[in-house]
Amino acid sequence: MSEFTQLVLLFFGTVFVNNFILVRFLGICPFLGVSKQVETAVGMGLATTFVMTLTGAATWLINTYILEALNLPFLQYVSFIIVIASLVQFVEMFIKKTSPVLYKSLGIFLPLITTNCAILGLALLIPLNGYSFIGSTVFGFGAGIGFTLAIVLMAGLREKLEFGDVPGVLKGVPVTLIIAGIMAMAFMGFSGLITI
Amino acid sequence: MSVNAKQLISDFKNGLWQENPIFRLVIGMCPTLAVTNTMVNGLAMGLATSFVLISSEIVVSLIKKLIPGDVRIPSYILIIATFVTFVDYFLKAFYPSIAASLSLFVPLIVVNCLILGRQETFASQNPVHRSFADALGMGIGFTWALLLLSAVRELFGMGSMFGLQILGDWYRPMVIMVLPAGAFITLGILIAIMNVVSKNATNDTTCH
Amino acid sequence: MEKNSTKAMIITLATIGIISAILLTFVYQWTIPYIEANQEETRRIAINEVLPTAEEINQIERESQIFYEGYDSSGNRVGVAYQHSGGGYNGPIELMIGVDLEAEEIIQISILNHQETPGLGARITEEEYKSNFAGKPFGDYVVVKTPPSKTMEVQAVAGATISSSNTTRIVEEAVSMINNAYGGGS
Repeated sequence: MSEFTQLVLLFFGTVFVNNFILVRFLGICPFLGVSKQVETAVGMGLATTFVMTLTGAATWLINTYILEALNLPFLQYVSFIIVIASLVQFVEMFIKKTSPVLYKSLGIFLPLITTNCAILGLALLIPLNGYSFIGSTVFGFGAGIGFTLAIVLMAGLREKLEFGDVPGVLKGVPVTLIIAGIMAMAFMGFSGLITI
Repeated sequence: MSVNAKQLISDFKNGLWQENPIFRLVIGMCPTLAVTNTMVNGLAMGLATSFVLISSEIVVSLIKKLIPGDVRIPSYILIIATFVTFVDYFLKAFYPSIAASLSLFVPLIVVNCLILGRQETFASQNPVHRSFADALGMGIGFTWALLLLSAVRELFGMGSMFGLQILGDWYRPMVIMVLPAGAFITLGILIAIMNVVSKNATNDTTCH
Repeated sequence: MEKNSTKAMIITLATIGIISAILLTFVYQWTIPYIEANQEETRRIAINEVLPTAEEINQIERESQIFYEGYDSSGNRVGVAYQHSGGGYNGPIELMIGVDLEAEEIIQISILNHQETPGLGARITEEEYKSNFAGKPFGDYVVVKTPPSKTMEVQAVAGATISSSNTTRIVEEAVSMINNAYGGGS
């Protein structure tokens, strides 16, 4: 199997089979918080995907050339979170300069990308997986796209739900969680599609 | 510095119910859904998170005047990451099987919005003794919520509690309960029940 | 020094960072002996499980991989154990395998680490699945859902075909690695 085919399979596997939110349970906070409107969800998803792709690449570099080379495994969490916080800061400044409208609509959610478990979770999986530099970057990209897919789907459903008649006690968080559960069940159907 | 006992008790009780992190504030969700498949895991995660929460709230409260406003979030995160690394290595050394079941989610305590949130909303603005009370209450609140969620999931998903078989052979376990889908649905139903009980709904879903 | 000046910010972060790194170095030094002992213990138990008749284990390195050779009380080699991992359904599966090179058979396998679904894929750790490999000749295996009718068939865990196939594949790879290192090659 050529390396390119492997990368393509890795990408699809990460988006569907091992979807970060619905299968791996990473990134739940923003999933519940940002998924109220499709537009915001798309913006958030793309910003997160950008950060995740860069995180995939950066963590591989740090892990290989610093943590492993100098035998400092105990600095893993500290160094990864510093990288992520810096990347988010950088992305924030980038968006502020290039699209002030997007910056305003994302508001508080941009700096919150730092606390998105999905990103740190992604970083932590990189040393465990043994993918190459390119593989890790593709893994990050796939993770981001999978994340975006899940929150956009959820946003679409919740927008429709605004017009529906949700029983009082279920309004808000409970019905969102139940929908998430059903989505997770649907994604279980992808299992076994690709072995990565 | 005066110590007001009544205030301390109220700080402590807050996290147990009124502002229960999982059922009311809806923060710290990632580990909540992932490690509540068994009660042992739920308890371990609750205790580990509580330890990190208490230690970091104490440290942040002690040095709050030394941290410039603009770098406070990165500073809090660094402090939290240090305590999490400590817990991770401690578990790996002395409780390896628990470390293995919690795996990825121990380091994810670093980005648990609950811990970061409490530094920002409480520890950075209150004296040490109050921060300790707050952290203790939030930690216990978080832990009992995890235990409740994992009790439901383990009992219906595997027929056991804390690994002890409760339901006999007649019971066919609903495996979905130990899978992600079951976690989402169970938590949704539990929060709905809490809404009935407390009459003012949990609405806030922003990670703060 | 103004509170929010760049200098103050850098000094704060650097100080916290340095204190953190120093404290963690101590934590690491303190815990690493226990952690390594735990890993050693897990490995020892697994090797004993896959090479039950071995009285003595020798760790050797071949082709930059580590193998554990087991010898009985008369000094005869009873088998070789090897630790291998690969992708499972939910994450990596790590297993220890013991083979009898002379008979070209697998003695037994032991699952060290996995993240498969409890109640389903996790049942690869149970005797029922593992016994598929006891005394299995080297070669390519076929995973089936019914009790095996042919020697090279492996019965999957009910409802966990993927975990079972992945584990079987990891077993095949491990056998290959051992054969390559010991000059067999099948």
